[in-house]
Amino acid sequence: MTCGIVYAPSYLTHEQSSSHPERRERLSYTLDQLVEEGIFDLPQIKLLTPKPATRDDVLLVHTPAYLKFLEEASIHGGIIDADTYVPKGLIHDALLAVGGAITAADAVLNQEVKNSFVLARPPGHHAGRSQGAGFCYLNNVAIMVRHLQRRGLRRIMILDWDAHHGNGTEEIFYDDPSVLFCSVHQYPFYPGSGRYEDIGVGEGKGYNINLPIPAGSSDNVYRYLLEEIIIPLADEYMPDAIAISAGQDNHFTDPLTGLALTARGYAGLMQEMCILADSICYGRIIAVLEGGYSVEGGLPYTNLGLIAAMAGLDLSAIREPDIYRDTLQKAVSDDAFPKVIAMVSELKKKLVEHWYFIRRYDFG
Amino acid sequence: MFTGIDIGGTNTDVAVIDSQISTYKVPNGEGLDHALMKTSKTGRLAVSTSQPLNEIITGPPVDIHTITIPGPGLVYAGAVKGAVSHRGDIVEPINPDEIYQLMRGQHARAIAIAGKFSVRNDIQEKQVYDIVSQFYSDEQIAISSPLGGLNFPARIHTTRYNARIKGKVSSLIKQIKKVNPDFYFVTSTGGLISSDRALENPMLLFHSSPATVATGAYYLSKIDDCLVVDIGGTTTELVPVQAGKPIFETVILDGSKTMIQAVSATSIPYGGDSCIRDGLCSFRVGCSRAFGGGEPTLTDALNVLGARIGQATRSDVLDRMTAQHVVQQYVDAVSHAIEKYHPSVLVGTGYLAHYLLSDLAERIKTTGVVPEHAASANAVGAAVSKLSLEVHVHVDTERKRLTLNGMAYPYKDMQDEEHLLTYVTELVRDIARRERAPEEDIEDVQIRLFSSYDVVRGWRVTAKITDMVLAIAPGISVEAL
Repeated sequence: MTCGIVYAPSYLTHEQSSSHPERRERLSYTLDQLVEEGIFDLPQIKLLTPKPATRDDVLLVHTPAYLKFLEEASIHGGIIDADTYVPKGLIHDALLAVGGAITAADAVLNQEVKNSFVLARPPGHHAGRSQGAGFCYLNNVAIMVRHLQRRGLRRIMILDWDAHHGNGTEEIFYDDPSVLFCSVHQYPFYPGSGRYEDIGVGEGKGYNINLPIPAGSSDNVYRYLLEEIIIPLADEYMPDAIAISAGQDNHFTDPLTGLALTARGYAGLMQEMCILADSICYGRIIAVLEGGYSVEGGLPYTNLGLIAAMAGLDLSAIREPDIYRDTLQKAVSDDAFPKVIAMVSELKKKLVEHWYFIRRYDFG
Repeated sequence: MFTGIDIGGTNTDVAVIDSQISTYKVPNGEGLDHALMKTSKTGRLAVSTSQPLNEIITGPPVDIHTITIPGPGLVYAGAVKGAVSHRGDIVEPINPDEIYQLMRGQHARAIAIAGKFSVRNDIQEKQVYDIVSQFYSDEQIAISSPLGGLNFPARIHTTRYNARIKGKVSSLIKQIKKVNPDFYFVTSTGGLISSDRALENPMLLFHSSPATVATGAYYLSKIDDCLVVDIGGTTTELVPVQAGKPIFETVILDGSKTMIQAVSATSIPYGGDSCIRDGLCSFRVGCSRAFGGGEPTLTDALNVLGARIGQATRSDVLDRMTAQHVVQQYVDAVSHAIEKYHPSVLVGTGYLAHYLLSDLAERIKTTGVVPEHAASANAVGAAVSKLSLEVHVHVDTERKRLTLNGMAYPYKDMQDEEHLLTYVTELVRDIARRERAPEEDIEDVQIRLFSSYDVVRGWRVTAKITDMVLAIAPGISVEAL
């Protein structure tokens, strides 16, 4: 199976300030790792060059007023919130990140590649229709999903596994049953939203699934959610493609979050998603990088693990170096799993009337 | 005085350049020592050895054992414990017992050792090397860090070939050092390297002939843009030259990428010694009849048509019709390949260029030039080349680490990137100086890559990491101009 990797050296240029956590260094070690592994020489990998998105693409999701604000702020610089400045020239970098997601989607739809992974910066999932937030300006995944629908796909599933709730994406599709949004995130945590009770409104009710998990959740929690909720949801929804907001700040070494997923856990998660996509939507997965701030101990290994899983490579040596073993032990919490089981049971009650796979076992 | 030697498939060419150019051809049958006798004891000697090495590289497979130190990531054969991070930190130690166990009862001919990120820190490769050297001689062990660049699979592949040919290169060095202890080898990009550096990465010597031909053809003809048609005994090589320089491409062997760059060339399997059976054959059986062989060849056909090469009367076993047909067949095949390059000028080299280039040029309606000494342009190219060098530099200000092709060098705190570049450039020049390169040849150090970023920890810039690729490009030595 061929995995497309969307990357251009311009993805390194965006920087809000020289010491901001969402910085060039995030991708530098990952690229070292990918180049050293000879990833780009493998027959299973195809390097795709992103094309910048157009204003029309952006307006599929964002308001004209917000786009105009970004364009104007990009001339002299501006500010969105305490963590999110608009550096000069931002709009070019933001459009190239969106364009990367669209390039990936087109390559998958045109069957140039089976699935693809977009190594883009800046990220996008906190950006709503009319405002940016949390290091995000334009919602790369949401625009890409609308682009897929413009090209004729009807139903898309978005799995957002970034450690932070994808509040921007949730807002955009909250009332829309043609997009099933499912977010796994640390809770309570930034941005504060993402309660399991928030299941959508209007026709979109039941199509917004939040899976809030406590700090210390590790591989077993993610696997449980996959088997208990995510896979049955997808099997029932039967999407035409799966988009993944692939944040990697749930890694146990991440300095900004408290989750405890391992590189192997990430790779396993992606492998399961690929098997799922094979069975329901011709293997179409478009994964887009979101957060992830453990630049040395996390990102090189998780990014490689995701790409290896998408390309069908051997995952048995995907792991972190031994020096991080103690960090992992400290990061994992035994209390997390029971809390997640309780949350899932409550969530199922909320969703029971919307999803048959929950009713099926509800003999009460 | 400059002397160049190119060991080809049929002959060894020697060129001695002083106030004038003298060239000699010594049949390979007489041995390399015979050719070395033609060289001057004084002055510089450069040897292009691609033929004997190519024979080993493209010959039957040899049992090479590969020890890899991959650490976390993808799966590699021959893996042992140990890991180096992208920043060159040791993140998992090697287990010496594991290596000893591997070596006991090991029957492989040679050992290749490659560690992931060894080009950022070569300590673990060297630790494994130290253990392996208790069981194998230095000539049977190759390590990957001197290859310089990132790409672990390509380094493993290249190191395996290095392990395979290191013994041959080492015996060539001993043989040549008897005549000239300070000689140079010619690399696949046409630059010169010392014998010490050649032993670290013997694959640099692979396929050096097209590079010497391109340099020699340009030196002799002074034509900037042309296609060099080198008609040798075994093959005909087409080498495009643009702005006086050949084009480089990555060498692919057995379908996998290596870390070696070589001059782009098309090889056509017809040369002066190609047999004539039912027409021209794409193989040879010894020499032409004109040079004492048994079977008639393309050279003999040219003799029948009026050339006077070697003992021309021995070529008479061929009739004129067959000879014409065979030459026609050669011109058809080669001109077909030449047309793909759309050349404006053809420069002929090799010992049959005088006889065949005009037919080729006429066929594709272009100009053909055969410069003086074209028959040994390869040896001339070797003689006039200059020392070349490519160094991958990694600088980490937090770890206070500076590596050149994986090897640690003294680290110095620098004010800015410009000072760092000046410091590293001088280190690169020093390597060239130690190999006795003249100052004029090392003045121009090219920056092929410069990439630098800040390390940020806790909202603070704590360090800077810089990657560079610096090179002294191959070309013609200022002293030879």
